[in-house]
Amino acid sequence: MTSEPSISYDPPPGAAVPALELVGLRREFADKVAVDSIDLRVPPGSFFGLVGPNGAGKTTTLSMAVGLLRPSAGRALVHGVDVWADPIAAKRLLGVLPDGLALPERLTGGELLTYWGRFRRMHVRTVADRTAELLRILELEEAEQLGTLVGEYSTGMRKKIGLATALLHPPRLLVLDEPYEAVDPVSARVLTAILRRFTSSGGSVIISSHVMSLVEQLCSRVAIIARGQVLAEGSLDEVRGGRTLEDRFVELVGSTDLAEEDLTWIGS
Amino acid sequence: MDRELISLKQTALRHTAAGTRPAGWLIGGALAAATWVAALLAGGDTARHSILTLALLFWGVGAAIGPVLMSGAGTLRPGWFALLPIPRQTLGRGLLVSVYVSIAAAIVLVALLAVGLHAVLLDPVTLVVAISGAVLTWVLVIALSRLVYGLLGAAMGSRVGIEIAGIQFGLMFAGMFAGWIPVTIAIERTPDLLATGITDAAVTRGLDMSPTSWSVLAVERAARGDWAGALVLLGALTLCAGAVVAATIPLLVPSTRPHVQRHRGRRRSAGLVAGGGLLPRTQTGAVITKEVRQWSRDGWRLLEVQSGVWTGVLIGALALTSADLRGIAAFSGLIVAFMLGLSACTMYGQDGSAVWLDVVGQDETSVRADVRGRQWGAVLAFLPKVLVVTAVFVVLSRAWWAVPILLAATPALFGAASGAAVVVAAVGVSPGVDPRQRVGPNDAVGNITIHVWIVMMLISVAVVPTAGMVVALATAPSAWLAALTVAVGFANGFGAAWLLGRIAIGYLTNRLPDLFSRIRYGQVFRETRAASALDWFESTTLRGEQVAKERKQKERAERVAKTAAR
Repeated sequence: MTSEPSISYDPPPGAAVPALELVGLRREFADKVAVDSIDLRVPPGSFFGLVGPNGAGKTTTLSMAVGLLRPSAGRALVHGVDVWADPIAAKRLLGVLPDGLALPERLTGGELLTYWGRFRRMHVRTVADRTAELLRILELEEAEQLGTLVGEYSTGMRKKIGLATALLHPPRLLVLDEPYEAVDPVSARVLTAILRRFTSSGGSVIISSHVMSLVEQLCSRVAIIARGQVLAEGSLDEVRGGRTLEDRFVELVGSTDLAEEDLTWIGS
Repeated sequence: MDRELISLKQTALRHTAAGTRPAGWLIGGALAAATWVAALLAGGDTARHSILTLALLFWGVGAAIGPVLMSGAGTLRPGWFALLPIPRQTLGRGLLVSVYVSIAAAIVLVALLAVGLHAVLLDPVTLVVAISGAVLTWVLVIALSRLVYGLLGAAMGSRVGIEIAGIQFGLMFAGMFAGWIPVTIAIERTPDLLATGITDAAVTRGLDMSPTSWSVLAVERAARGDWAGALVLLGALTLCAGAVVAATIPLLVPSTRPHVQRHRGRRRSAGLVAGGGLLPRTQTGAVITKEVRQWSRDGWRLLEVQSGVWTGVLIGALALTSADLRGIAAFSGLIVAFMLGLSACTMYGQDGSAVWLDVVGQDETSVRADVRGRQWGAVLAFLPKVLVVTAVFVVLSRAWWAVPILLAATPALFGAASGAAVVVAAVGVSPGVDPRQRVGPNDAVGNITIHVWIVMMLISVAVVPTAGMVVALATAPSAWLAALTVAVGFANGFGAAWLLGRIAIGYLTNRLPDLFSRIRYGQVFRETRAASALDWFESTTLRGEQVAKERKQKERAERVAKTAAR
């Protein structure tokens, strides 16, 4: 990684500081380039969708952007704060739901949020109020009353408690890796309402997803990445270019066509 | 931050069944008391010096190994805190400090303070040196325990880490099986030790070099009036503790480096997957190939193998230290073969996805192929190691007379162990920890106490024919009887593996979905019939799991009631 002495980033005069800016971000794993020096700007207040096929480098990019994985080169800036030069300041601005979230399994959801509030130096009363509210809205209240431990949560419940830890402080930028995966339709609707309220009050959201219809429905801006590179970036309409996002995605990424002679044995 | 982390750890512990922890505290407390009593009963200052330096060394080694064997929910994992705005140094320090706040750490401190007795008896003024020294030693050994645990946690993905964990589990098993050897030697020598201490100057010098002894040496120097010398020793101890603390803290912060797995050298081809190479291109061949790979690629399975190997090696080493038991060392390889039974008795529970594939792909011969393939896979994983350990220890012990016995007992034990393991793994399947949730070396299996006992019993019964022949050979040695013993050993091994495997096949052919539902749902959706021994074992192990589940639910209800009352 190129180490930079400055911890803040000065945007060009007149430009708003991006909620998230990636500059030449790169990660190599042994001899494989997972993320190939990508540049990306997420404007403040936007709902940004990061889409790409499996293994495109979405999770690796987001991990480097939030301070979980050290880049081989490049910078990640959250509201102008360099994530790798000043991780503490950046993490105060960030709320993150990573892929494969590691949490203390032997705590209840309420205890987890209470401790996370304490670690973030929040006021006790504020933590208690927000914990109760988040558990109620995310439908984790009953599990809390039953004393269910996080280790006993279902996949969807884990997503929800992970989201609650990301929202608690509250952040200015939410980075959510596949937030809708394994979440039931009712909870998904609640999640969408929360995220919309967050952006309408000035917060910014970046989500990664495979589900094109979801991204089209939610996001104002989109980036398509494949093989560690950004293939298209811009407003939803700019990226779609008059077609559906899925058609544009397939056009850029390529697809495997099923020929007449392929898999003829299926159903035989 | 330190306070919050300690509080988090205590909360997590409150939500965890005490398990074996109280027994550990009891044993630890008894050992701490024994340290004080031994120091008190010492025949003189020299003897007390020997006893204390020896005991403190044991405490240092014990503290380093203990957390690996007794780790649990109390261990705070750095990865949990990766997204929080906490400076890395603060988090590392907090996680280290939280280790010092525990009953186990308090017991270690009480034991280390026995040096205070030495100080009082030499010159009460030196008590201040003793207490400072004991606290510094405590800081050192507890940090060392976290360092060892951190290295293991960080290294379960690496071969070296697995090897270190294997040595530690090997030490535990060797202690259980052959702990009587050092205990016998200790009992024989304790009166002399208490009266005169260690008379061998080289051993004394060696012991004095260990940092755990420096508090004792500092007290003695201060008692002689050499306060500068005492301060130098305490300073050196401080440096040592500081160095271990400094080395430990970086291991306790979340890693931001990529975990790159090296795949080079792994052969991949459709032919190999279908049972290519030397193995037959059959269902069984495919299962063997898969199993051999599992035993070498899954870190936790590899740990099972290496724990078995180190158990044999360490028992062999213990036997070599005693002139009377030297010949026993030749049988170290047999212990490794025996350990196959214990290592493999959870092979179905650890491997839920494979069981799911077995269920959805079941045909007339698939169950047989699965059972036989798993038996052969386990044998192939252990065989090279058993041969090496056997060869090395036969040479070291020069017990050439043991060779015919080994030639007979090795195949017999292999067959019995692979058969016993597969029956127990199938009938008493104990759901393991999801591979994605595994982090530390203790993460793979659940409570398998009854499984271990049944495997040991089955192996013992299954090798009776070979054991009988060995006794006959020992009573009336002759070349033809030796050859017959070897032949019986081979026949016994194949017979036991076949018969026990056959029982597993018979059981699984009708109850494969039950095996899966026990792994997936923790219960069997069928009327249980307590008619045969297999049914008894199935319902006993199932009841064990259900009792544990009920206990958990009861604890949860109590927890909720307590929270509501607050």
